Amino acid sequence: MTTTTLPLTRQARTPSSDRPSRFLAGIGTAVLILGAVYCLLPVAWLLVASTKDGRELFNSFTFLPGTGLTENLRDLSSYRDGVYWRWVFNTVLYAGGGAFLSALVSAMAGYALAKFSFPGRQVIFNILLAGVLMPAVTLAIPQYLLLARVELTNTYWSVLLPSILSPYGIYLARIYTAAAVPDSVVEAARTDGASEFRIFLRVALPMMLPGVVTIFLFQFVAIWNNFLLPFIMISDDSRFPITVGLYTFLNQGADRPALYTLVITGALLSVLPLIALFLTLQRYWRVDLMAGAVKA
Amino acid sequence: MATTEIQPASAAAPPAQGARRRWPRLAPYLFLAPAIVLFVLFLLLPIIYTVYLSLRRVQVSGLGLGPGARSEVWAGLDNYRDAVTDMELWRGALRVLLYGGILTPVMLGAALLFALLLDAQRVRARRFARISIFLPYAVPAVTATLMWGFLYLPAVSPFHYLLEELGLPQVDLLGRVSVFFSLANIAVWGGTGFNMIVIYTALRAIPAEIYESARIDGCSELRIALRIKIPMVMPALIMTTVFSVIATLQVFSEPTTLRPLTNSISSTWTPLMKIYRDAFARDDIYLAAATSVVIALITLVLSLGFLRLVQRRAFQDEQ
Amino acid sequence: MKSPLGMWRNQHRWSNTADAPRTPHRFFGKATTVAGKATATLAVAATLAAGCGGGDSDDDGPIELTYWAWAPELASVVEIWNESHPDVQVTVVEQAGGDDMVTRVLAASEAGEAPDLIQAEYQALPTLISNEVVADVSEYVGDISDEFGEGTWQQVTLGTDAVWGIPQDTGPMMLYYRIDLFEQFNLSVPTTWEEFAETARAVRAADPNRYLTTFSANDPGWFAGLAQQAGATWWEVEGDAWNVEIDDEATLRVAEYWGGLVAEDVIDDQPMYTPEWNTALNDGTLLAWVSAVWGPGVLEGVAGDTAGLWGMAPLPQWTPGENRTGSWGGSSTAVTTDSDHPEEAAEFAVWLNTDPEATTALVRESNIYPASRQAQASPALQEPPEFFSNQPDFYSLASEIADTAVGVTWGPNVNVTYSTYRDAFGAAITDGTPFTDAVHDMQEATVNDMRDNGFALAE
Repeated sequence: MTTTTLPLTRQARTPSSDRPSRFLAGIGTAVLILGAVYCLLPVAWLLVASTKDGRELFNSFTFLPGTGLTENLRDLSSYRDGVYWRWVFNTVLYAGGGAFLSALVSAMAGYALAKFSFPGRQVIFNILLAGVLMPAVTLAIPQYLLLARVELTNTYWSVLLPSILSPYGIYLARIYTAAAVPDSVVEAARTDGASEFRIFLRVALPMMLPGVVTIFLFQFVAIWNNFLLPFIMISDDSRFPITVGLYTFLNQGADRPALYTLVITGALLSVLPLIALFLTLQRYWRVDLMAGAVKA
Repeated sequence: MATTEIQPASAAAPPAQGARRRWPRLAPYLFLAPAIVLFVLFLLLPIIYTVYLSLRRVQVSGLGLGPGARSEVWAGLDNYRDAVTDMELWRGALRVLLYGGILTPVMLGAALLFALLLDAQRVRARRFARISIFLPYAVPAVTATLMWGFLYLPAVSPFHYLLEELGLPQVDLLGRVSVFFSLANIAVWGGTGFNMIVIYTALRAIPAEIYESARIDGCSELRIALRIKIPMVMPALIMTTVFSVIATLQVFSEPTTLRPLTNSISSTWTPLMKIYRDAFARDDIYLAAATSVVIALITLVLSLGFLRLVQRRAFQDEQ
Repeated sequence: MKSPLGMWRNQHRWSNTADAPRTPHRFFGKATTVAGKATATLAVAATLAAGCGGGDSDDDGPIELTYWAWAPELASVVEIWNESHPDVQVTVVEQAGGDDMVTRVLAASEAGEAPDLIQAEYQALPTLISNEVVADVSEYVGDISDEFGEGTWQQVTLGTDAVWGIPQDTGPMMLYYRIDLFEQFNLSVPTTWEEFAETARAVRAADPNRYLTTFSANDPGWFAGLAQQAGATWWEVEGDAWNVEIDDEATLRVAEYWGGLVAEDVIDDQPMYTPEWNTALNDGTLLAWVSAVWGPGVLEGVAGDTAGLWGMAPLPQWTPGENRTGSWGGSSTAVTTDSDHPEEAAEFAVWLNTDPEATTALVRESNIYPASRQAQASPALQEPPEFFSNQPDFYSLASEIADTAVGVTWGPNVNVTYSTYRDAFGAAITDGTPFTDAVHDMQEATVNDMRDNGFALAE
């Protein structure tokens, strides 16, 4: 597996006499491994717990694997005619579609903010950023009521549209574009006679791609894990994402028990794609954007 | 350069060139249009509507069961007065401060420590640790809280089992005071990895020459870490702190998910939980709107103040 | 009673998507062009928007009704209606239950988008009435009051001539206990609360690791039922005003009783429905459960291995020889004010909850205990639930107990009272303060909320 591509890599190697003592290195390694174990522990629990059926879950030692994995998977798949897989599809739609549109909108906005100077540039930028200050809990009901007026609630759009705007994404896009797209190239394309949109699409965007992919991944995770917005907007459970669906498993009303086995298995299945996404695309996580963002 | 070759071509078509000169003026606004439209529709309008709602309330007459018994009326600043004088809101704010006071140093300290270790030489298992510690970022808050809930509750927790086997006294992880630490732990678990990567990347961006001279001078790795690395990533540290503080002030999912499992968390344990309770459990959207405006204003003031303070420090190092 | 686990072992054929067509496999892919993706997005949007516009069709076709509910497998019951009523088709949309649905219905109603029919818990009805969400269907239903127990009927009429909902299921409270463990510790089934306290102390004395049962600060409906049994009337309509007395003598007596037992450490204080509680039921740490008639379904779901070891008995009484119980939960089918076809919707609601075919299906598929008297005696309830195979007379005993359930008048802000219960009792347990203080908190919060909103209060 390759390491992340970074703008600067240290080439020099220090002479052996100045390297840290083996003892300190050993402690350092131990600390790292301890941290890794601490972070993996609950995920390991999730894996083991999903192998237990309803009876074993509350009857056996925590880390002892159970025998119910296939049964749990089968139960989850067949519950209400496979509504869980419908939720998976919905989540992919919301996260994939939302993140894609978000990356596009952020890229366009970031490009404009970085490559043009126009009246109101800083004001618009600051106002867009101020969006992070309003918590989602506060905005949920007003957003719902407003969408209800145009009869768009309980639709896929009601979850997609509010998820597209990402102030943090615009911030990253601006920083990255400023660093990655030289003014000279844009100017050259202009004098070539290309339209502004063509310049953006054909010249700037390819250069911005690593940053845009980062924004996409960031928003993908955020929307995938979002609970409150779809919870308010969607009343038809065939349009739930996984987060809301699992919540209904836990809250079936007083006269029904929480469906813990389903929740655990469902949670595991929803976390695995993200982990896989991380592992395969980790080289694209240009988190140096954040560090670069600080310097800008 | 390309420009010199192209000039003859552009000189041959002045009218088109003139027409196109107008576009660069509009272009940035057009590019920004989607973002601005979305902002107005989904942030600005809801905020305005929230402020509007905060000035209204419900008026019921009689038993309130007949038709037309309920109406929405103007309330002036009554909701704001109710929001600000409700001691539960400020108690919640204090709780959040305590929670943040535990969470932020631990999480950022751990992130810094791990980042430094990832950057150190002769330390093993770096790639494994980097992936593992970043992994919790993929887990949503609700799932994480559920997992940790299972690990905290005595009957199903391996820790209690371990303590019992070792003959040590039981610790109530969800008691009145310990619940702060238990909740902070969930956030630390979830957030350390992301912050670690941010700081690590900042570390990797430090040019090697700086270390060279230090090593030639005979500095140990530890001293280099303390004296050179940490100060150089201070801007990254500050930014992660700011975002972490803002997120902490808005904490909602973890206490809400953990609440059914214990008696120690009330439905108003954090300010945002109170807003949620007022809006959803008490059907009092008006009070919730007023409280939201109050909280948002406080957050705005704190963030602006912090950012102003920080911008000076962050960019001082640049000189 | 079948458990949720049993539900999917017994699959049914229906699909519950209301109106959205099944969209094809995701066609977003990073390889396609921007324009391609934009077109695709618009196409998806158009399809979905077309499919999502309102449920009602034109006047020539059949009348389409939507029904928001959370009872499991309801759609298979509704199928029976749909097959025999081609001109009135009902579609069930499953929701998260209880309070969440009330919130959602209120929001939808404010937007004018509420469905035609909703499943409404009895304690939520006044709130829904007050917000003009549910409609009075008395002109459409005729006289069906003797189909149901008096206490139940009162909850949907609020003592007036109006009919706000058709009772669907009830939750009369009763006691479940571990027969084997009672034998092991030489305990007899308590018939009064005093005996119950003694039994609790005996359990602790015999085994310090066990409790007779737990007091849950997370289940206000449970406490409300116990207060009802003791004679509490939290809300009363006096002419044109509400008389609110949550901290009346009966409720305070109940609070003091349980508070005393918790303080004495003979009753546990952990919330129900947690993994901890599930485990406790499984391994016998808790010997009994004060619950309602739908208990077997829950027990099978969380402690399936203990099937056949439990017994059911009436709730302990405050006075020896008395025979009263309270209710925990229970819901009705209500028609909303947004419905364009209230008459047909009311007809369906009556059919669903009184027609023998419908109620039998409700019992079998949705695992509810029906409110309809005739349904309580139906063949579907001749056999005891699987979990209680050791008690053949389970349902006949349950029916007797159901008849002793007292009537209840709910107020217009039960949600405030319930929400305060959770916080106040949670704090009382954590801080060790008296439970009676928590009851006073509930009273204060409820009255203040009603006064702030302008409800007429009897002074």
